[in-house]
Amino acid sequence: MKGRIAEVFKKINKKRTLLFMCVPAIVFFFIFSYLPMPGAWLAFVRFNYRDGIFGSEFVGLENFRFLALSGQLWTLTRNTVLYNLAFIVTGNILQITVAILFNEMVGKKLNIYKKFSQSVMFLPYFISAVVIGVFAYNLLNVQTGFINSLLKQLDANTINFYSIPELWPIIIVLAYLWQSTGYGSIVYFAAIMGIDAEMMEASEIDGANAFQRIRYILLPCLKPTFIILLLFALGGIMKGNFGLFYNLTGANNMALFEKTDIIETFVFRSLNVNFNFSMGSAVGLFQSLFGFVLVMTVNTIVKKIEPEYSLF
Amino acid sequence: MKSKLTRILALIFALMLAVTMVSCTTTQGGKGGSTGTTGTSSGDAKGIDTSKFVTISHLSLGNKPTNGQYEAVKAEWDKYLKDKLNCALEVQYIGWTDYMTQYNLLLATGEGLDMINSASDWLEMWPNAQRGAFLELNDLLPTYAPITWETVPESSWAEVTFKGDIIAIPEDMYSQWINHGYMYRGDWARQFGITEKIDSWDDFQVYLQGVKDNFGSQGVIPFDIAGASNMKALYDGWTNSKSSYICIDPVPEGLAFGKSDDEWWEVRSRFLPLDDGTDMLLNFAKEMKEWGDAGYWREDVLNNTADTWVQFKAGLTGVRQHHTQTYVSAYKELEREVPGADLQFFPWAEESKNLTKMSITHGATAIAANCKNPERALMVYDLIRNDETMYKLFNWGIEGVQYVINDKGQRDLPEGFVTDQHGFSSNFWGGRMDKFELAFPSTTWIDNYEELYADFETYAKPYRYGRFVFDKSPVESELAALSDVVNRYLPAISVGKAGDPETVVKEFRAELEMAGYQKVLDEVQKQLTEFKNSL
Repeated sequence: MKGRIAEVFKKINKKRTLLFMCVPAIVFFFIFSYLPMPGAWLAFVRFNYRDGIFGSEFVGLENFRFLALSGQLWTLTRNTVLYNLAFIVTGNILQITVAILFNEMVGKKLNIYKKFSQSVMFLPYFISAVVIGVFAYNLLNVQTGFINSLLKQLDANTINFYSIPELWPIIIVLAYLWQSTGYGSIVYFAAIMGIDAEMMEASEIDGANAFQRIRYILLPCLKPTFIILLLFALGGIMKGNFGLFYNLTGANNMALFEKTDIIETFVFRSLNVNFNFSMGSAVGLFQSLFGFVLVMTVNTIVKKIEPEYSLF
Repeated sequence: MKSKLTRILALIFALMLAVTMVSCTTTQGGKGGSTGTTGTSSGDAKGIDTSKFVTISHLSLGNKPTNGQYEAVKAEWDKYLKDKLNCALEVQYIGWTDYMTQYNLLLATGEGLDMINSASDWLEMWPNAQRGAFLELNDLLPTYAPITWETVPESSWAEVTFKGDIIAIPEDMYSQWINHGYMYRGDWARQFGITEKIDSWDDFQVYLQGVKDNFGSQGVIPFDIAGASNMKALYDGWTNSKSSYICIDPVPEGLAFGKSDDEWWEVRSRFLPLDDGTDMLLNFAKEMKEWGDAGYWREDVLNNTADTWVQFKAGLTGVRQHHTQTYVSAYKELEREVPGADLQFFPWAEESKNLTKMSITHGATAIAANCKNPERALMVYDLIRNDETMYKLFNWGIEGVQYVINDKGQRDLPEGFVTDQHGFSSNFWGGRMDKFELAFPSTTWIDNYEELYADFETYAKPYRYGRFVFDKSPVESELAALSDVVNRYLPAISVGKAGDPETVVKEFRAELEMAGYQKVLDEVQKQLTEFKNSL
């Protein structure tokens, strides 16, 4: 026993610099992710300000009931999950593609162009969803929108985007990609940079062309990164991007709801007036539990197939 | 190794628990502290201690003036308050966008709040009292707000009493009319041959069609609407004009109405057919579909975010929907910018003569439950409400900048006053006084407002639900589900963008039913009967 403790301390001492660098992250997650956890109790009480979370009356699963009452739970869950899947799949494919393309741009002349386009792609990430909503409205609205004005000039029929639900999955995914591709590709670009240059050189000497290099070296090397990012993304699959959906489709455009309503926008409509913290927490807990179970399951599967790619 | 891990885990868990415990005790400590102060203050009533300089805040609804006038006026009243009560007063503004959410969030945290503007009909006074957001004032009022305590009659205090405790001070000595209606341009109406005052939805439609025919080609939208609440308001208006129903405000989303003034204790729903079989909602849906199809508002009105009053002043739309109080002051504002516009008003109550007087808790001032200086906050309130100098400073601004008093003793705007540059408002709506309000001069208020008010007086009935505290807890899940249903259907139905009226009304009702509407109506009826019996 004593020897073991000494061993642990020895280890700690040996890696103290690394551990020290971890401290901010550990403190951050402790404060923002672990400390508030007991607050999940909020979902099971009828909350009032004065008695506080743990003093309020316990009501069991009562706060979860409104989710089922509306009869919308299935549509909402389906929309939320499908949108997120679309985001994850298209997002990652595009991010990997972009990262590889950037990687292939070598040489002095291309460098300026590379830097410039990287910045341009990066920018949308910092634009708020509210502004994106305004962009979209000015592009798409019937009377004064850019696209429809153009169509009118060409004597073509106008398209009332805001009343055709089928178009919105495409619009929303496009908006998401526009916003997140540049940012997301950085991670993959970094992963590519980490690939051993000798492998590349060796393949070149062996006569592999650019496509072969990408297919047989780059992509397999990116697999672990992809799987880690995928697992992270799956954890949040029940959580919709409220800002994007709310601002793009509007708060009350009933015509689009069938295709655009996600859990977050539903909760907003239900509780905006009623203002019930406990019900809000109940939804949050439901989403987190779902994500937790999903991550655990997928991680187990990944572990079975390729143990070294799993998170833990 | 394993035991080490367990120990570390145990340690982390213990730490977590300890931290939460600490946070719990702090809240409890705070609560104990405030009751403690209450005890001592009523103990030595005479010795009011103002030796410590404090800053009191007032939570107001409305956008903060960004023209620097707030700071200028604040400096003035701070000078005055420093002398009188050794304190400063700041206004915390909540902007109109999503004000309800922001307001409730602020009250939930309760951080740094002192005076709070509250209201039973539009700012959830009772639900917030239930959630414990307000301080009980019984013991504090006689000592720290003595004039208010003396002048507010017993019957008015009863209107702000929750479970035996006074939780707010009502704005009971200020008359105003807040019944909604449509404002329209008189000059345009005359141009279309409408010579009489508009007093029905049919006449109103003639006006809208007139705007469409005459100015539509220039891009004028007859009735520009933006935002879900403004769309839902159309049905509020329709209900008001076409039935004897009176809204039971404590129930959210207009889910429950009283049958009529004579039978105000009978709960009815405006989403279901009336007792005589008239399908009010369906008629409305059909009419609005017609209006929408006629192009009285934008094609994609549901996603519109325009500021419609700005549009109105720019001559780009012909209707503004708001209440009488807004109308009487908007008349001259428009006149200054569009001379000859001659703003007219069609109050919804006109068609049915279904009008209730305003509740005295349409405005009220409460003190935050964890207010650090409730004594001083009440003293400031007492001063604003009863001291003419402070009243004018806080409500009107600086004499010569925001207002002047003319030779007739009326309040007037100074020469060269421009709203954008000189405008100031503290939005103190929880204790204005008729006795300080001066006769309304011609540059700010419409000349014939007294006729309008007198006309309302002839048929207005008293407001019945000011003290009705609706306990939502038995039907909270249903209310949340119903909120979603109403917000999904009603805005779209109200602007005729929900497809075939017959189908959508049927769907809407089916979803209401499924979300437990009947249970809610039964619960409201039960509580309202109890309330009636308790009177």
